[in-house]
Amino acid sequence: MLNKKPTPEIKIHQPETKTRHRVASALLIVMCFILPFVLAHMGRTGVYWIWVTTEIIIMSLFAMSLNLILGFGGMVSFGHAAFFGVGAYTVALLMKKAGAPLFLALTAAPLMAGLAAVIIGWFCVRLTGLYFSILTLAFGQLLYMVAFQWYTFTGGDDGLHGVPRPDFLNPTNFYLFCLVIFLICVWLMRMLVNSSFGLTIRTIRENMDRAKFIGINVRFYQWLNFIIAGAFAGLAGGLFAQLNRFAQTEFLHWSRSAEPILACLVGGMYSLMGPTVGSAFLMCLRIILQQAHKGLVEYWAIILGLILLVMVLFAPGGLIGLVQKIIKKKND
Amino acid sequence: MAADILRVENLSKSFSGRMVIEDLSFSVAEGELSAIIGPNGAGKTTLFNLITGYHVPDSGKIIFNGQNIAGLQPFKTVRLGLARAFQRTNIFPKMTVLENVVSACITRQERNLNFRTPYKKLTQIHQRAYEILDSVGLTDMAQRLSGTLAHGNQKLLDIALALALEPRLLLLDEPTAGMSPDERWQTVALVKDLWERLKVTMVFIEHDMDIVFGISQKIRVLCYGNLLAEGTPKEISNNLKVIEVYLGEKPMMDEAC
Repeated sequence: MLNKKPTPEIKIHQPETKTRHRVASALLIVMCFILPFVLAHMGRTGVYWIWVTTEIIIMSLFAMSLNLILGFGGMVSFGHAAFFGVGAYTVALLMKKAGAPLFLALTAAPLMAGLAAVIIGWFCVRLTGLYFSILTLAFGQLLYMVAFQWYTFTGGDDGLHGVPRPDFLNPTNFYLFCLVIFLICVWLMRMLVNSSFGLTIRTIRENMDRAKFIGINVRFYQWLNFIIAGAFAGLAGGLFAQLNRFAQTEFLHWSRSAEPILACLVGGMYSLMGPTVGSAFLMCLRIILQQAHKGLVEYWAIILGLILLVMVLFAPGGLIGLVQKIIKKKND
Repeated sequence: MAADILRVENLSKSFSGRMVIEDLSFSVAEGELSAIIGPNGAGKTTLFNLITGYHVPDSGKIIFNGQNIAGLQPFKTVRLGLARAFQRTNIFPKMTVLENVVSACITRQERNLNFRTPYKKLTQIHQRAYEILDSVGLTDMAQRLSGTLAHGNQKLLDIALALALEPRLLLLDEPTAGMSPDERWQTVALVKDLWERLKVTMVFIEHDMDIVFGISQKIRVLCYGNLLAEGTPKEISNNLKVIEVYLGEKPMMDEAC
């Protein structure tokens, strides 16, 4: 029964697949860098698509930040927009009212969002499951109401318009700027997910009670994960305020929290890049439908509902999971 | 006689008015392999839940290694050297067998806050994890998703998770529940072997009297939250009270199933 010699055999990824994977990723990144230069030559549609792709990058970052707690941590937050909004308002307030430079504002955004997550998370991780979700929703709406009512500070319903932008950030440069930040964040999150901390988070997701009995301080690690996710969301929000050159209460609204959840579901919650795929897919689909026929946008909710239905029923691993399944079948 | 590693003093716990553990006191000597038996609803699992901090006792003390741990949260009792395996398999089903144990090892060494090194590259921890898997005979299944293992192997993994914590006191809640007779005896042999090699104090709950009387040094009989009797297998099998309440007749110690 017992064989005495440990036989470590780690063969999850064949070395070939790993190399192929790396080459494909590198190619994709290079293409992302070239894209705006191609688009810049395509007139007004091109400029429009630079704007769209920049938004996709930012929303992908937002969705990925949520996935740290949703997919990897198993905590369904309905109030993630709170941190996105805090980041956006931080940038807007600092740059517009205090005249702070962009880099300072963009450093402050994740810090302030992280701080908000420290406070909100401290309460939320005391609850689990649906109660956790409802409390995140409540806190999100609370911040929304604060921004809505505090007219002198946040501009209330009007929001804060005319956030200054440094001259060197024309659409192409801003796209590249966001892409670089996005890639750094992906690199950081990848490190996080693969680290001991990442495994601890997954362990908690898998079986919270058992995690306690192997000595994990569940609340503490959930709290920490919540704060990290909040900080990344804050950075996304900061970039988004800079993209639109305004911040408004809608950024904090719960409907904004739903977007990354949908992106995670459609793209795939159990992989790092799933939320990015989901965000890109949903946003492109929406715009394509809009351009195909104006009336189709009215049916967007129905179309979205159908997509979700199909995904949840037939591809719980999202688009990424689907592709992986197909590749696996081909190889077999 | 060795010092007591665990001392339970006047422990009581009730759930919505029903006393499950009532004024219970006993102590476990260091290095002992002992069993807790008793009819269903005697409070055996509740007792484990109280000791490990899953439930907070209404009153009484639980002295582990000289420290009162009553009401301490599970993750804290684990850090003090108390580990437990569960009656119903309690593992991390969507992680590989290896990842299950690696996660426990990482926690044991308090390296959860390492944000940088990929856990797959922690060689020393992987070596340790393989040692543990080897000691329960699951090395060959290291790369499988633990949820896909057969029931018996999942129970072994549950024990492996507890072993990874390098406990001083190991509580096993029906380690052979749901196993086939063959698996049962293999598991029992394994548990005994681990006890001998690791010099860890073990307390287990078991319903199979042949196993209980076959391997334990000491048996405690729990009944309606009280300690009915305590003693060596021989003493217990001759205890009239125990025979009346629980055993019904003298167990056939030589007849294995």
